[in-house]
Amino acid sequence: MADIGHRDMAILSKPEEAGNTNRARIGRLGLESRQHAPGWYQALVLAGGVLAGLAVSALILMASGIGFAELANEFVVAIFTNAQNVSAVLTQAAPLLIAGLAAAVAFRVRFWNIGIEGQMIMGSIAATAVAIGDVGPEWARLGLMTLAAALGGLAWMLLPALLRIRLSVNEIISTLLLNYVAFNLLLHLLYGPWKDPRSSFPYSQQFDAAERLAPIGWQTLTYALPLALVLAALCWWLLNVSRVGFFTRVIHANPKMAAAMGLPVVAVTLGAALLSGALAGVAGFAVSAGVEYRMTQSFFVGYGFSGILIAFMARNNPLGAVLVALFVATLFVASQSLQVFYQIPGSMVQLIQAVMVIAVASSEFFIRFRIRLVR
Amino acid sequence: MTQPALDLAAVSKSFDGFPALAGASFSVAAGEVHALLGENGAGKSSLMNVAAGLYRPDSGVIRVDGREVAIDGPVAAKRLGIGMVHQHYKLVKAFSAVENILLACGKGRFAGAAAVEQAIRRQAEAIGFQVDLRRPVGALSVAEQQRVEILKVLVEGARILILDEPSAVLTDKEAEALLGMMRQLAAQGAAVVLVTHKLGEVKRFADRVTVMRGGRTIATADPKARTVAELTSMIVGELVAEKRHPARDVGEPILTLEGVAGCRADGHRVLADASFALRRGEIYGIAGVGGNGQTELAEILMGVRKPVQGRIAIDGTGDVTHDGASRRRDLGLASIPADRQTYGLAGELSVADNYAVQAVRSGGLGGWMRVDGRAAQAQAATAVSAFEVQGVRGLRQKASLLSGGNAQKLVIAREFASQPRIVVAHSPSRGLDMRAAGAVHRRLREARDAGAGVLLISEDLDEVMLLSDRIGVMSGGRIVREFDTPADRQAIGTAMVHHG
Amino acid sequence: MADFLINWIANVPAFAVPFALAALGLIVTEKSGVLSLGAEGFMLTGAMAGAGAFLVMGGHPFAALLVAALAAAALSLVFAAMTVTLRVNQVIAGLAIVFLAQGLTGLIAAKQGWTNRPVEGLGRLDLGPLSDLPVVGPILFSQDIVVYLTVPIFLAVTYVLSRTMVGLRLRAVGDGPDAADAAGVNVALYRYGAIMVGAALVGLAGGYLSVGVAKLWVDGMAGGRGWIAIALVIFARWQPWRALAGAVLFGGIEALIPRIAAVGLQVPQYFVLMTPYVATLAVMVWASLRAGAQNRFDEPRALGQPHLREERR
Repeated sequence: MADIGHRDMAILSKPEEAGNTNRARIGRLGLESRQHAPGWYQALVLAGGVLAGLAVSALILMASGIGFAELANEFVVAIFTNAQNVSAVLTQAAPLLIAGLAAAVAFRVRFWNIGIEGQMIMGSIAATAVAIGDVGPEWARLGLMTLAAALGGLAWMLLPALLRIRLSVNEIISTLLLNYVAFNLLLHLLYGPWKDPRSSFPYSQQFDAAERLAPIGWQTLTYALPLALVLAALCWWLLNVSRVGFFTRVIHANPKMAAAMGLPVVAVTLGAALLSGALAGVAGFAVSAGVEYRMTQSFFVGYGFSGILIAFMARNNPLGAVLVALFVATLFVASQSLQVFYQIPGSMVQLIQAVMVIAVASSEFFIRFRIRLVR
Repeated sequence: MTQPALDLAAVSKSFDGFPALAGASFSVAAGEVHALLGENGAGKSSLMNVAAGLYRPDSGVIRVDGREVAIDGPVAAKRLGIGMVHQHYKLVKAFSAVENILLACGKGRFAGAAAVEQAIRRQAEAIGFQVDLRRPVGALSVAEQQRVEILKVLVEGARILILDEPSAVLTDKEAEALLGMMRQLAAQGAAVVLVTHKLGEVKRFADRVTVMRGGRTIATADPKARTVAELTSMIVGELVAEKRHPARDVGEPILTLEGVAGCRADGHRVLADASFALRRGEIYGIAGVGGNGQTELAEILMGVRKPVQGRIAIDGTGDVTHDGASRRRDLGLASIPADRQTYGLAGELSVADNYAVQAVRSGGLGGWMRVDGRAAQAQAATAVSAFEVQGVRGLRQKASLLSGGNAQKLVIAREFASQPRIVVAHSPSRGLDMRAAGAVHRRLREARDAGAGVLLISEDLDEVMLLSDRIGVMSGGRIVREFDTPADRQAIGTAMVHHG
Repeated sequence: MADFLINWIANVPAFAVPFALAALGLIVTEKSGVLSLGAEGFMLTGAMAGAGAFLVMGGHPFAALLVAALAAAALSLVFAAMTVTLRVNQVIAGLAIVFLAQGLTGLIAAKQGWTNRPVEGLGRLDLGPLSDLPVVGPILFSQDIVVYLTVPIFLAVTYVLSRTMVGLRLRAVGDGPDAADAAGVNVALYRYGAIMVGAALVGLAGGYLSVGVAKLWVDGMAGGRGWIAIALVIFARWQPWRALAGAVLFGGIEALIPRIAAVGLQVPQYFVLMTPYVATLAVMVWASLRAGAQNRFDEPRALGQPHLREERR
């Protein structure tokens, strides 16, 4: 081997002797697949990606006219030293987590649900219908609303799921298109039959006390948060412990092999897609009944991509999703105050989320590949 | 010998720390056909990919006509007159032969298509090839696609031809013609490198052989002066040639097909009318040229493709024509698919998970509420050692990291874990070296001797002849003839190409 | 009724052009094997950059459209780096680009004060007496320059794709990157090029939306047209002329929407606004019902797959 190394050096040092018809031998970068990356290395790379994303985000915010000190204050100091803000973050995290679970469940069977916002709208519409119509006794009202929301989201997923399974219609586009349809339906209701009778503003009437997720007794926190955490635990059991979860893992890795092994690929895919829709519906309910206490025009904005981001960064792990949801919630809360005090538009949240996804997704390159100098 | 046309000296190359080539040396002279032999993973393809510019070596020297060169890409190789026909053809499926060759010729202007077509026709005529130059190559047969590849290399003006396992996909007759033509090209001054497994053709068509083992070239010899047994032992060390072991106790039919027809993914009905019965305790071999409906037959039996016509029955249960893979497996059907990475394994999952799939599905690893991961690990560990799956550094290791032979052993370990009554094995030793193929064959025989019916669908006639107790020949989507064994190879070969 | 028809048809081109240009751009990108879900983002980028350039550069519509195309191409470099060089999952990369563009356009336009500021925009090209002809005058000879330019752009791109070596290599990269690589085609280079040219066309479509049609920048004004264009490409089986036909169909639907109320049809307006999306869905279903044996070689085989030479199996 030493001999070869020696020869190698000689070649590198005398490019003029290289084949005349070819370019001179210069070291250049080659790529190779990494067969195995240890856990600590993966964690390190991931942390690097997150840090890079945060750094770029900070630069963008600073370029928008916010000083570094203010930035640190808004994102760290103000939020974590103030019980009110902690409560705001936790409140915001609940629906985000549910949306993240919705995305994770679908992604686990390689079903790209980009229609979380549409399903949230339909979930909220169904729950609001129960609330406005005073369906059922008051003690069961919240339960009925939750159920209605789940069914609303599920129903909105039915068409894309069936089209994908029966006709291979791309679900990315179908679920996304249905967002616009749902949004127009929402506007139709809010500007029409469900317009608030008291103020004539385009939002629904306020929910009664029995139609709201009750306060938990600390700050403004409601039962939306325990609901989200219970759902996360259930999803974790379903995806990581149960037999169905094992099936989803095989389907994710190789759907053809799963079919050849006799796994119920269609049923599991359909089930996961519908569950995803139902969870998204519940997320819509959690915003309307747990935060805004009525259905508004824009209650769903930003949750679709947030859900995708949460599932992606958590690698579709429901417990990981809890952490990422908290991070995204911090971003939401901080950006609200940035909007008020620095006139930074709300789209900044999307921008930072996109930067984070790009940074983390790009960092995975270093897990999957190794760069090396070849000649 | 005169100065070599191509000379590779002390070439090393590793992938992610695993050496594929460790100082391999090889040379080929103009006018000769030089066979490169070795087991799978010995480094034959890697070494040739270095010569063709697809892999950049970590170290080593390459000389063409005695002059040291650097081959930093396929274009550089082409410019040096090196042309390689890869095992997996480098053709754009949607393009016609003309477009493919136009693409590869590089310098061409699009308007030069007519001239290119002329050149191809001239070349094809000169060597007696018949290919449809205008149809998309994806619609051509494998043999025709190979001809397009060879024409491409020749039109490019290659003087050093490398063919990577060219006869693996051809019938005996086609292989004969191809290799004869290579001899002819060598006689005209070309240097031909033949990467192959088939010792028979090496003895008949090669002037020299070089044998590789473990990423090194270990010997160069004159094939005429060596027996097949000697060549074999050079490749694998000591190894006893496989012998036939006929069935002892053949029972009643267990799997019956009547007029089963099926379509390819594109809707083309390639399986027209498959009718045969597989009996307990026998190996029924289906021989035939690839693309005559074997893949569809295997997929239909596996339960991943629906038959459009006909009836499939499993003895004791009756009609399973419209049942999916799940019910068939419950009834004792196991399958060893030809395309392991597609139907056999989930490469992204661990070895343990891949082994556990069957048991989890049938409830052998806990109920719906919980999968017993620890038991799964333990079972996989037992199976891995019992079936001699090597290269497993840990049960959590991704299955995609296993070599072909070990991946196949893992598939077989899983499929045989539940004592199947019917085994459908499609090209079970494709891509395996002799040692691994021998192990696979032994397992199939064991299953048969334990009373299972084994259906062996293979395009490798040697394999079918070696293992089968009865042989059905498949052509044009039907079983055109059945043979009892031992059967006449010539007669089977004839049935494979002539319908009915 | 005749007036209604003429008026409607005369408005179809302006609505069809964004779909047509975007779909053409997507075809260029996807023919190289890169799944381009970022269209909505490139369109927004083009729209915002176009409106901004118009305001900043003193009202040159052509300069504004050029800036629109260049801005989208610049953003697409991020997408290309992710998908081609870093081999990020193309779905994730595409979605990230959409949201990056939504955030970025919102932020820049708000900071610069471009949001909701009317621009004079692109005027109609007056073809003198031709424009005054009855029926054909308003339909054919009273459009803006981009409508007319769309035709040569289509011809040029289609020609390059189907009749030149560059097009041959680009299609090879999308259909068989390994084969193209072995033939000496620089796969990464072609994919970068196809992504940037494609994004430029989508950006031009966006610029036309703000500078040519709405004459205004509003946040999120692409309104899903990028996604519809993606559906159109699938519907058209990656064939430019069929995409053009689809674009005209959707242009027709969009042009009809504001006219339905005018005619006095009593349909709730939000249901009318749903129609493009529902129609897109219908078209997708129709396309997949029809996608049979004859379309085997339409879809680029390597669509969505990163290329890596030294992958060993």
